[in-house]
Amino acid sequence: MKKLFYILLLMVITLLRVEAQNPGWIVPDDQKGKICLVKFTPDMVKQGEALYMKNCQSCHGIPTKKNFAAIQPSPGDLSEPKAGTQKDGELFYRITTGKVPMPEFRNILSEDERWSVISFLRSFHKGYVQPDPEKMAASMGKRIRLTMAYDTAKKKIMVKAVELTKNGPVSAKGAEIIVFVQRYFGNMQLADPKPTSESGYAGFDWPQDFPGDKTGKVILGARVNDPTGSMQEAIVRDTLTIGLPTNKPSLTDTRAMWSTREKAPVWMILTYVLAVIIVWYFIFYIILSVLDIRKIKQIKKT
Amino acid sequence: MDQIINDLSHHIRLNKGFFLWMGFLALAFLACLYAYIQQLRYGLGVAGIRDYISWGLYISNFVFFVASSLIGMLISAVLGLIGLAYVFLYARFQSPILWDVTVITTYFVISLLLLFLPMIPDMAVLYKRFANLPSWLKPVYKVLSLNWTDHPEQNRIIHRSIYILLILIIPAALSIHTVTSWLFALTVRPGWDSTIFGPYFVSGAFVAGSAAVIIAMFFFRKNYKLQDYLTDLHFNNMGKVLVLVAFVYLYFNINEYLVPGYKLKRADAVHLKELMSGHFALTFWLVQVGGLLIPIVLMLFRKMRKPLPLTLISIVVLIAAWFKRYLIVVPAMAHPFLPVQHVPDNFKVYSPTLIEIAITLLSFILVLIIITLISKFFPVIPVVETAKEKGLDPLKSNES
Repeated sequence: MKKLFYILLLMVITLLRVEAQNPGWIVPDDQKGKICLVKFTPDMVKQGEALYMKNCQSCHGIPTKKNFAAIQPSPGDLSEPKAGTQKDGELFYRITTGKVPMPEFRNILSEDERWSVISFLRSFHKGYVQPDPEKMAASMGKRIRLTMAYDTAKKKIMVKAVELTKNGPVSAKGAEIIVFVQRYFGNMQLADPKPTSESGYAGFDWPQDFPGDKTGKVILGARVNDPTGSMQEAIVRDTLTIGLPTNKPSLTDTRAMWSTREKAPVWMILTYVLAVIIVWYFIFYIILSVLDIRKIKQIKKT
Repeated sequence: MDQIINDLSHHIRLNKGFFLWMGFLALAFLACLYAYIQQLRYGLGVAGIRDYISWGLYISNFVFFVASSLIGMLISAVLGLIGLAYVFLYARFQSPILWDVTVITTYFVISLLLLFLPMIPDMAVLYKRFANLPSWLKPVYKVLSLNWTDHPEQNRIIHRSIYILLILIIPAALSIHTVTSWLFALTVRPGWDSTIFGPYFVSGAFVAGSAAVIIAMFFFRKNYKLQDYLTDLHFNNMGKVLVLVAFVYLYFNINEYLVPGYKLKRADAVHLKELMSGHFALTFWLVQVGGLLIPIVLMLFRKMRKPLPLTLISIVVLIAAWFKRYLIVVPAMAHPFLPVQHVPDNFKVYSPTLIEIAITLLSFILVLIIITLISKFFPVIPVVETAKEKGLDPLKSNES
């Protein structure tokens, strides 16, 4: 009896511990209401599917197949009601911020791309009706358009923010701008975020020794970083020829151990060929001289 | 002199026992050949190997045979060639596979010459003086003995050739084991990513090779009644050799597991855990303790180096040597760096299929057939050398 009690106690403690370790993934209330500003279209779903396969499928598996990865906490199949009953804003927040072990996609997928992933997921959720963007538009933040240029004299990247109002574009003041440079993997933030000035400009010092590609091209991006939601997301990408031309030959351009057969290192070919020639020279020498044994007998006879 | 010739050559005949044994081998061979034909017809899918664990029994066998080939004979080389001939399609100078194929071919030819050259005088003597030489073997002996008359010039050629070959075979043997180890060590997989894999394989080959020699000695001695020529002294000495090489191998084993075991890098930790306390633990400890540690301790005692106990120990060591190759090949493949996901279950674990096991048996049967045939058609112990050691001149006594 005592034993049973201990076992039960142990089980309760274990359960409590598991609960304590898993406080859930809470989405702030102000984020729950966020919605997509356009109607989901079949094209969007298609784009979302491609993005999903590239970014999400390795853990979450193919929707409805329940072949998600066996890790803790479980990623789960996103076609299930657990995801299906969440609001668009909740899904959007979770994709955006991530929670270990799920990565954050803030800098990996653009806002549009995140929405197309959600549109793909929604295609599996029965009974889902998308909130009408038109009706909700009023409650959304200001619409901002960004442009970017390099100021040669000031050696600065100048980002201009323009608010699109009913009466036409107006310079947007106080929009917090982040500038980043595209790398092989993800983006690199260039400096601390800066608000735009009265005239809608934010300038970022451009390091003069920044490496570009062979011709000095650098792919830059800028976006509005507005956590309060008073401004909608705006992003601009541009290729500027302002980097230091950097010509690093590809690792497989020269002869090397790791290269293809045609690019084998000369010393290696020589070593191989020489070793084979030397060893086989002796082998053939021996075979020929052993065959001579026969002749010795004949010479002796004659 | 006739006594020596008869003693050392009386096994060269085709008796009932031989036909029974060969018949058994041939039947087993055919049964297993069927498995191989199945594999040729339906592809490697009939084996248990899949995308992730793509090296299973076959590569284990290959490594095992390369190791045992330190017997210095063609047996292993033939099998090595069978196992690898198909990769010679696209030769890349940087690839250890190209080097492996080259070295094995070279090693095969050198071994064949080393087997053949010392036998030339024997065949001449047996052709002339061995009355019981089967008549159908006579022309073979005549051709292969190359008109040997014990002429000084002939002796000079043979001795010089053997001398060169003995020098050549040392780098060839070292290369074959090192290059085989590089097939593994030139990757970053935990369990293979090791700088001591070369000497580790060489010393392992010495262990397997010595054990195989002891076993062969025992059976030739018993079946061909060679007790006077393969004495307890020979076994005692071979036992000492096996202890020595096993010690060296043990030393490399400790290095191979202790050093990554101390650092416990994440991937290494998974690999070592799987070996020492996980799925492969039973095999691992049987191989290390039963196949290496206990044999070493036993063979330190003179009594255990008598022919029968030494042979039993060698059989255990040789079986352990095979499982050791399996442990080197399979667990490392079961834990690649990239996660294994979205694949059928049989991709994740490896278990050999019946066909694979049959093909493995096929290779072992082939080894037995080759050894049996060679030992039935040719002397196992050099006749002329033995005679000369005893102060006899085999050819001259014939002429007088």
